[in-house]
Amino acid sequence: MDMGWIKYDIEKYSPKQLVIIPLVLLLISIVLLSFNMINTGMPVTPGIDFSGGTAVTVITPDTREQLLTTFSGYPLIDVAEGVNNGKFLKFSSMNDAKFLSLTSLITQKYPDAKIDQIGESFGKTLQYQAVLALIFSFIGMAIVIFLAFRTFVPAAAVVFAAFADMVMTAAAMNIIGIPLSLGTVAALLMLIGYSVDSDILLTNRVLKRQGKLNEKLSGAFTTGMIMTSTTLAATAALFIVSWFGSVQILMEISAVLLIGLVFDIMNTWLTNAGILKWYAMKGGSK
Amino acid sequence: MNGAELKALVSDWRVATLIILIILSVVAIFPHFDQQGHMVSNLQYGLDLQQGSWLQLEFRAEVVGFTSDRPVGEFITDLSKKLDTEVLLVDPTHLEIRKYYTQAELDPIFAAAGGKITTYQQGVSKATAEDVKRILENKINTLGTKDAKVNTLTGMNNIARYIRVELAGVDMKQAQEIVGKQGKFEIRVQTTANQTEHVLFGDAITSVQNPSQEPAGSDHWGVGFSLSDSGATAFRNGAIKYGATVDPANHNLVMLLDNKTVYSAPLSEDLAGKLLGADIKQLFASTGSGKAGITQATNLEIHLRAGALPVDVSIAGSGGVSAPLGERYKMMALLAGIFALITVGFVIYFRYREPSIVLPMVLINASEIVILLGIISLIKFQLDLPTIAGLIAVVGTGIDQLVVITDEILHEGKVPSPNLYLKRLSRALGIIVVAAATVVIAMLPLALMDLSTLKGFAIITILGVLVGVLVTRPAYGKIIMQILSR
Repeated sequence: MDMGWIKYDIEKYSPKQLVIIPLVLLLISIVLLSFNMINTGMPVTPGIDFSGGTAVTVITPDTREQLLTTFSGYPLIDVAEGVNNGKFLKFSSMNDAKFLSLTSLITQKYPDAKIDQIGESFGKTLQYQAVLALIFSFIGMAIVIFLAFRTFVPAAAVVFAAFADMVMTAAAMNIIGIPLSLGTVAALLMLIGYSVDSDILLTNRVLKRQGKLNEKLSGAFTTGMIMTSTTLAATAALFIVSWFGSVQILMEISAVLLIGLVFDIMNTWLTNAGILKWYAMKGGSK
Repeated sequence: MNGAELKALVSDWRVATLIILIILSVVAIFPHFDQQGHMVSNLQYGLDLQQGSWLQLEFRAEVVGFTSDRPVGEFITDLSKKLDTEVLLVDPTHLEIRKYYTQAELDPIFAAAGGKITTYQQGVSKATAEDVKRILENKINTLGTKDAKVNTLTGMNNIARYIRVELAGVDMKQAQEIVGKQGKFEIRVQTTANQTEHVLFGDAITSVQNPSQEPAGSDHWGVGFSLSDSGATAFRNGAIKYGATVDPANHNLVMLLDNKTVYSAPLSEDLAGKLLGADIKQLFASTGSGKAGITQATNLEIHLRAGALPVDVSIAGSGGVSAPLGERYKMMALLAGIFALITVGFVIYFRYREPSIVLPMVLINASEIVILLGIISLIKFQLDLPTIAGLIAVVGTGIDQLVVITDEILHEGKVPSPNLYLKRLSRALGIIVVAAATVVIAMLPLALMDLSTLKGFAIITILGVLVGVLVTRPAYGKIIMQILSR
């Protein structure tokens, strides 16, 4: 199928060839996550939402050094710089008295700041709930998929592709340095929903339509790629605007979605398509 | 499309529903200019889109399930003494301990008192949480803060661990002061018409009861409170010294909070007589009868506590946004929404190159946002940054599904006959329903949990999917059919 800018020559490759690249990537991702797990106790580095601490956003021309001096009496662990003078400061947990003194310093020196503080035990509660939400939502998704297709291999392929999406995205977050926060958990959950979109379309076309397998696959590809590219376009728009506007939570959500969607293209059209092709060639579809 | 066709299209129930919903939504959002000429609407913004602060407080107390062979009253009194705090019976098998102990610390104490802990959870009972909520609200109101919300986060087992205070238009420092500040409470005795003398300060009050009737069952309301030993002595000495025991009517007892009179009444004849003989530790301040009596009693209870909470709290989390930053975020969110819609439009145009397909798609997509904003205004949901991310996600998934419909119908490039069209449309809707169900299921845990800010995001995503599947997709199916069959 020629789409002008991309070619999807699925007939050229055997199922094995299709799934090999994603499988190797998945393996590398799992190794990366386990490595992180051994080092830090969490597969993805938790941000202050879960580990506890204080995040401050200020729009100021003050340099990094000036900020470091201003807050030298406080446990400042990171100063990140955005565009348009946006500065993102991170403090580790401190006691209530210290925190109160920090807020009065900030309100006096940078009255326009945004402050977010999460205590350690509250962070633990949030983390516990976030992990539960991820597990439940993945299981829920798997149940819906199995109920919808009622055949093991195609349903398992969709669930597996979604799983690979999440794992690869999580590994990429570690490499780029995006922490696991409430925002990025939401993005991962959204990814569960998004990633199965094109998988469902693909499976539906291959299992329920008449015609030649390769034609069905490339037809699904045309539609599916448009679907993913519209979503990519919407998230890219969100990312660009929040980047320029220094809106951290939107930036993190959109960055994770962008990464996840790129992996989704691979996992849908190589992993899932590969497994489906193998299943169909064995005589599993019409 | 000619007039008759257009009329037929609009009167199709799917399209009609969509149009009606859009109109209702615009009415619900009600965009208009206020007297200053600013553009305003019924949309309510969360704390990250306007100036405001939030504080999430964690109760330093716990609710434990227990068993004991001893009479409950005796057991509780014993525990209360050993733990040096108030212990309340929540229900026959649960106790609220108003001081923070770990289960490991409590176990031996329970064993020594002749009982056993069966469950342990940090937090307070729902009733106590409501008390705390009322006290906080009262405190915030007396300080004249206009837009405040206090919410207890109660779990399934009716135990509240957190309470969240949101104050619009207040910076974090102020918010901390409002919530953390304790008033100065004082009892004085009237000596002459406009002179009073100090008797005791709030630290002499050891406990304050909830409003009650005295005698029980009557319509005479008031608040009981207890004094410490030294407080009771000071109270008796003061009352005798300044003549309140001999001539109660001319020597009112005056209660002040932060030097403002909150209560003033004479000693009862009965109490005046008793005070001559001995220290009295249990006192009752009556506030009158009927509704006014209850209201006054409720306020007096808070004043007696000097705004102090019955349970210690610690700050679990807090945050605040300044007015300019909130304004900036609002702008950015609007920009992101419009920008997303435009980019998506371009991608669609790139694929179909046919304005008569692209235009309805983008308009349907935009109408989904309008309907969602309408629902948000109607249920008075607060629009915050995560919710806006959810709205933009709706743009993304929404257009995806319109693509599925279009491609299914346009299969093999031929415009289908009505029969075939319906078959294809239902196949497309089949794909959409499965995809929608997964999104709903994936978001459900988040919508049900109290994961602070993300609840809104999840609810909006779910609502967006439902509006899409129930209203806008079927309408789009009808519209695109009409356009393609020209």
